[in-house]
Amino acid sequence: MSNGAGESTDAAAIRVMVVDDHPMWRDAVERDLEVAGFEVVGVASTGAQAVARFPAARPHVVVLDLQIPEPNGVEVTRTVLEHDPSARVLILSASGEQADVLEAVKAGATGYLVKSASREELLSAVRRVAAGDTVFTAGLAGLVLGEFRRLSGPAQDGPAVPELTERETEVLKMVAKGMSYKQIAERLVLSHRTVQNHVQNTLRKLQMHNRVELTRYAIEQGLDGDD
Amino acid sequence: MLRVVVTVNLVVLTFWRRDNFDRPVATALVVAALVGWTAFALWAYSSAVRRGPPLLVLDLATALGALLATPWLKGDDFNATLPGFWIMGVLLAWAVHWRWQGGLVAAALLSLVDLAIRPDLTQANYGNVFLLMIGGPIVGYLCQSLQQMAAERDLAQQAAASAGERARLARAVHDGVLQVLALVQRRGAELGGEFADLSRLAGEQESSLRSLIRQQDTLVTDAADADLAVALDDLGGPTVTVVTPGAAVPLPAYVVSEVVAATRACLDNVAVHVGPQAPAWVMLDATEDRVVVSVRDEGPGIPGDRLAAAEAEGRLGVSSSICGRLQDLGGTAELSTGSWGTEWELSVPRAGGAA
Repeated sequence: MSNGAGESTDAAAIRVMVVDDHPMWRDAVERDLEVAGFEVVGVASTGAQAVARFPAARPHVVVLDLQIPEPNGVEVTRTVLEHDPSARVLILSASGEQADVLEAVKAGATGYLVKSASREELLSAVRRVAAGDTVFTAGLAGLVLGEFRRLSGPAQDGPAVPELTERETEVLKMVAKGMSYKQIAERLVLSHRTVQNHVQNTLRKLQMHNRVELTRYAIEQGLDGDD
Repeated sequence: MLRVVVTVNLVVLTFWRRDNFDRPVATALVVAALVGWTAFALWAYSSAVRRGPPLLVLDLATALGALLATPWLKGDDFNATLPGFWIMGVLLAWAVHWRWQGGLVAAALLSLVDLAIRPDLTQANYGNVFLLMIGGPIVGYLCQSLQQMAAERDLAQQAAASAGERARLARAVHDGVLQVLALVQRRGAELGGEFADLSRLAGEQESSLRSLIRQQDTLVTDAADADLAVALDDLGGPTVTVVTPGAAVPLPAYVVSEVVAATRACLDNVAVHVGPQAPAWVMLDATEDRVVVSVRDEGPGIPGDRLAAAEAEGRLGVSSSICGRLQDLGGTAELSTGSWGTEWELSVPRAGGAA
């Protein structure tokens, strides 16, 4: 029923792992996903469990709460994507800890949803993230935009500060204003796919910059020999 | 450690100066007794339970006894007492245990006995006594302040730890409450009917708790400044989505209150012209040289001539509460409207860039 005709990935084939330390939430999300035909291949209530169970479960999508017992959601995102770069991480967060959301996105998460989102929004988000799309909320777009604004500000000694094209900035701002990709495509007279690509590019630039920064930090700290 | 050094000093000195002693055998016995006592004292002082007044009094008595024995062992005409520097151990023990008062009492008693057994008072003896009287209380005083500082540090550490623990607990509780509110909101909306009201209430509480947490987390350093991001967050609610950059946007307090008032006027317009339940979006974009607040709705839009007509008719509501405020701040308020809805862009220059 909720299997949209236009979706490129069949729900039945999507393997999902749910990581949340609140049992009621984990169960609710798991049930919703299973009813909709997703295959829930693993659940975890702590970061350690998530990292330990990920290799065997081999999920396409990890639905991840950020506020979990150690290691936190940001670390889990980094670790599982190192292990399997083809996996996708969808952050499902309740608390307003914006800095953590931004860190998780920099670490490679490609979707973010607040927990008060409806079931349909959750299912659609999992489907789109699995298909390689990025799922932005207006809030996340605002955070990413803010991060780019800070990076282009003064006193940035980094070598390669990423810059958005005018079009990318425009699209990101529209997402932050709460417009859907469809509305943006109509307003800018672009295809839905092009809007999607612009959004993805902004994330890619941010993640790339984050990797460069981490490497630079590692070299500065003299840790590069350990690799 | 000090005791061992002074005891070794005592033994060596006594052996070296053994010719000075009238009664060598008795001296050897006394020295042996002092060495024995030192060993016992080292063991006894190592435990807090044994380190009580009886031990300290006995320790001092031993030292005084050794002093008193000197004339008998060395003859009346002597320079250095038998225990000599050995008495330092006792003095320090008293100073450590009973602070400057203890140091003073021990120093006074030792000095008194030391002077009493001497036939005459020389310059060197006076110097030693003087050092004893000064050293005892000072060491005691230092011990006292050290212990006070340690106690204060422990207290500060405890306070910091418990504040940290409270913050951690609060975060866990907040997170839990947010989870429940989100769940109620989601399930309530699915069930409909009366539960829809419950869902709406949960949504309201969720957003107010969220902005409360936000306010606690982001602190603006300069007291004269206010955080525009937090101030705008307060406008959020079930129908209004507020998006901010995730870091504090410090601006002078009056700029913040004016921008917030203009934003509120825009939202009031949405409620009046589109409907009280109409969704609206507020987005804050802060660059180095300006902040832009956009307020968007998906209503039918405002006919292009209506604003001008309203102004001409003397109804200055929109113009003065939105455009006027922005002009006063040296900024601009631009309106774009169409079939897709209405969007205000309130732009204010930032003086001197980001702090």
